[in-house]
Amino acid sequence: MANPADKPDPNLTSPDEVELREDPEDINGGEEEEEDEYEGEDDDEATASKPQSREDAAASRVNAQNLFRRMGVAPVPVRVHDVIVKGNEKTKDHVIEAEVDGVRHATTLQELLEAANVANSNLRALDIFDSVKITLDAGPPELPDTTNVVVKVVESQSPLAAEIITSTKSQARSSSLEGSLKYKNIFGHGDIWDTSLAYGCDSSGEVGLGLYLPRLRGRPSPFTSRVYLSTQDWIKFSSYRERALGVSLGVLLSKNHELGYTLAWRNLIDPTQMASRAIRRQIGHSLVSDLKYSFKVDERNSALRPTRGYSFVSTSQIGGLAPDSRTLRFLRQEFDVKYAVPLGFYRSALNFGVSGGITFPWGSGYKSRASSVSERFFLGGNISPVCSLEGPSALWGFKTRGLGPNEPRREVEDENQSGGDAYERDFVGGDVAVTAYADLSFDFPLRWFRERGIHGHVFACAGNMAELSGNKYRNFTLNYCHILKKQEHDRAKSGFFLTFSTPSS
Amino acid sequence: MEGDQDTSDFTLVTRKPCFGLPTACPNCLPAYIYLKLAQLPFQLAFNPTFPDSEELPYFESGTYVAYNNEDGGVIEKLKKDGIVNLDSQLQSLPEYLSLKALIVSWLDEALTYEVWVGTEGISASKIYYSDLPWAIGKFLFYKQTYLAKNRLGLTKENAERREKLIYKRASEAYEALSTRLGEQKFLFEDRPSSLDAFFLSHILFTIQVLPETSVLRCKLLEHSNLVRYAERLKSEFLEASSSSPSPPLHSFPPSFSGKGSKPKSKPKAEKSEEEKKFKKRARFFLAAQFIAVVIYVSVMGGVSSDEVEYEDDD
Repeated sequence: MANPADKPDPNLTSPDEVELREDPEDINGGEEEEEDEYEGEDDDEATASKPQSREDAAASRVNAQNLFRRMGVAPVPVRVHDVIVKGNEKTKDHVIEAEVDGVRHATTLQELLEAANVANSNLRALDIFDSVKITLDAGPPELPDTTNVVVKVVESQSPLAAEIITSTKSQARSSSLEGSLKYKNIFGHGDIWDTSLAYGCDSSGEVGLGLYLPRLRGRPSPFTSRVYLSTQDWIKFSSYRERALGVSLGVLLSKNHELGYTLAWRNLIDPTQMASRAIRRQIGHSLVSDLKYSFKVDERNSALRPTRGYSFVSTSQIGGLAPDSRTLRFLRQEFDVKYAVPLGFYRSALNFGVSGGITFPWGSGYKSRASSVSERFFLGGNISPVCSLEGPSALWGFKTRGLGPNEPRREVEDENQSGGDAYERDFVGGDVAVTAYADLSFDFPLRWFRERGIHGHVFACAGNMAELSGNKYRNFTLNYCHILKKQEHDRAKSGFFLTFSTPSS
Repeated sequence: MEGDQDTSDFTLVTRKPCFGLPTACPNCLPAYIYLKLAQLPFQLAFNPTFPDSEELPYFESGTYVAYNNEDGGVIEKLKKDGIVNLDSQLQSLPEYLSLKALIVSWLDEALTYEVWVGTEGISASKIYYSDLPWAIGKFLFYKQTYLAKNRLGLTKENAERREKLIYKRASEAYEALSTRLGEQKFLFEDRPSSLDAFFLSHILFTIQVLPETSVLRCKLLEHSNLVRYAERLKSEFLEASSSSPSPPLHSFPPSFSGKGSKPKSKPKAEKSEEEKKFKKRARFFLAAQFIAVVIYVSVMGGVSSDEVEYEDDD
């Protein structure tokens, strides 16, 4: 689902979308109207001032040149007197004013222009207006050095919007087709209601109703909520299908912090009745009530092909937050670190990354209880680990869910083997997973490839998984060694070691 | 193919125990009893989160699995795959099929009716939903009640009529089986069969799980030989491996939380054979004591009279 919470970068907004209006009372030597060059969606008649004679036009040009000269030399002090909102019939004033609030703190004209650009981007990001125009007008004549910020919006004529997109999510094995119908701004708070239907090629699907609010109780925290019914099909890899009916709530507390809550009825079934023992023990109903907190910092210059910067993501989840002790109780922690170093030739860069995660049940009998397969980690698939910021999941060189603990499936006599594609083992996932990669990406010398964005990369990656829950943690031992005495050439190490013991077959 | 499997690998997965039974689910109990009657050592595992599954109970051994919704049930599948077959040579008997029809259709129907409709599902919540969160449990209860009514063909118009028919058939089945059984140990000759597993499961469930107010339970208790039959098999096969014997079938199960919280006077239960034997022995003992006292008194009385005569002679 497209998330309107992703605001466009205000720095990319064209500065031409903010204009200064000419006024007979000059402010600091006068301002001049700029010509606007839009992408064709705006109305120019609102920007047209009084019809100008040739002399007035020449005077305006001179004034503007003076102003820009002054702006280039030193900050031009100015104070915002008032923010005037026009054009909103349905949208509440406070919704627009909240997005434009940053202009009030500007003390110079340069800062004001920048803040106005940001405000313009914020208002466009609300996705409820057909056009947004911010004009700086002169303030009241009795207050020199002040300006009024006039925000003129044109609300969407048709509040309904439909879109159909194809996408590939990181956990999916194949592409999915999504259709959604959005109803915008029903209550004037910038609310966007959507109904969506998604269908994947592997018979997985989701239908849902969502609500997006740009602000929660006046705070600049976009709020999303969603009621959904989903089916995920893992029969080919792990012999189970997961159905969920639930509600999820999410709040973006700030640029880096996100909090989410999910309450869902989850049902795992095995329609083929071929599952392995570990999966058979998982089949049934469960109630999930979990809180998720994410901290994300992404300073890379590109999410798809980073050549500089770093990123860090940490996600913590706790399940079982309900008075009923029979809800699914688990703890889950993931982290992901990436770093890109530019090498300076052919736009090449070295990318490094490490990600890891651990999950474990809690509550009575937690040591002997196996973790839920839906909360475990699975490695492999078609997603590049350079792009993925979702903990240990992507790994080159392995098929989807193609790595880690696995168990033999049920053996049936007279089975009709479906060609060479039959899987005989279920991948049951791991409670702890670690992946690491090193990647060298570069442009090809030929311009033909460069123009089409085709680049090459050489990589190495590694990953590992293990089970901990269901008493399997007993296979891990933490040892402390202190060397009492050693010979001259002994290679001894003191300290703490983590060792893995495996049953001898 | 599984004859050479390590027997410690055999596992039966059922729903959870309750009401003093190793598994309180009426669909899972026959399989459990069948394996016990066959004296096949196996482990018991539980799936407490799938009350509406038709796959349970299932039997597994390594990569072999016998689900209940295949090949006519898990017991039939175990027979067919050669794991354990108690019905060899019995299946050709004409009586076998007619008794089987009685037990797995009329009695099973009566039990389904009694659990979901007759007793309004009082026991169902403990059997099926005790490990599920309340909301999910409630929804699945309504769903399963609806499906049970559909399976029994119940509608608002015919509910009373169907109820009478179901109870009438159950009574007739009990009568026929009681007559057939007499005081025999098993239904067929002197060997256990799968029909004993089904019938014993039905009796144990009806007496231990259904509340006292259950019409079906009262009808069953009228046939004392059936209760004795169940008691006997239970103590011999089901409690052979357990440390403490469970209380007799006709008394209150300790974990039952139905309507019977106050001590209601009920008809005195039939005395078991052990009690009769014990009373006989007690009578013999008392008689022997009495005779010994009489002999002692008569002998000692004779001696003391001689002494008195001797003193008088002085």
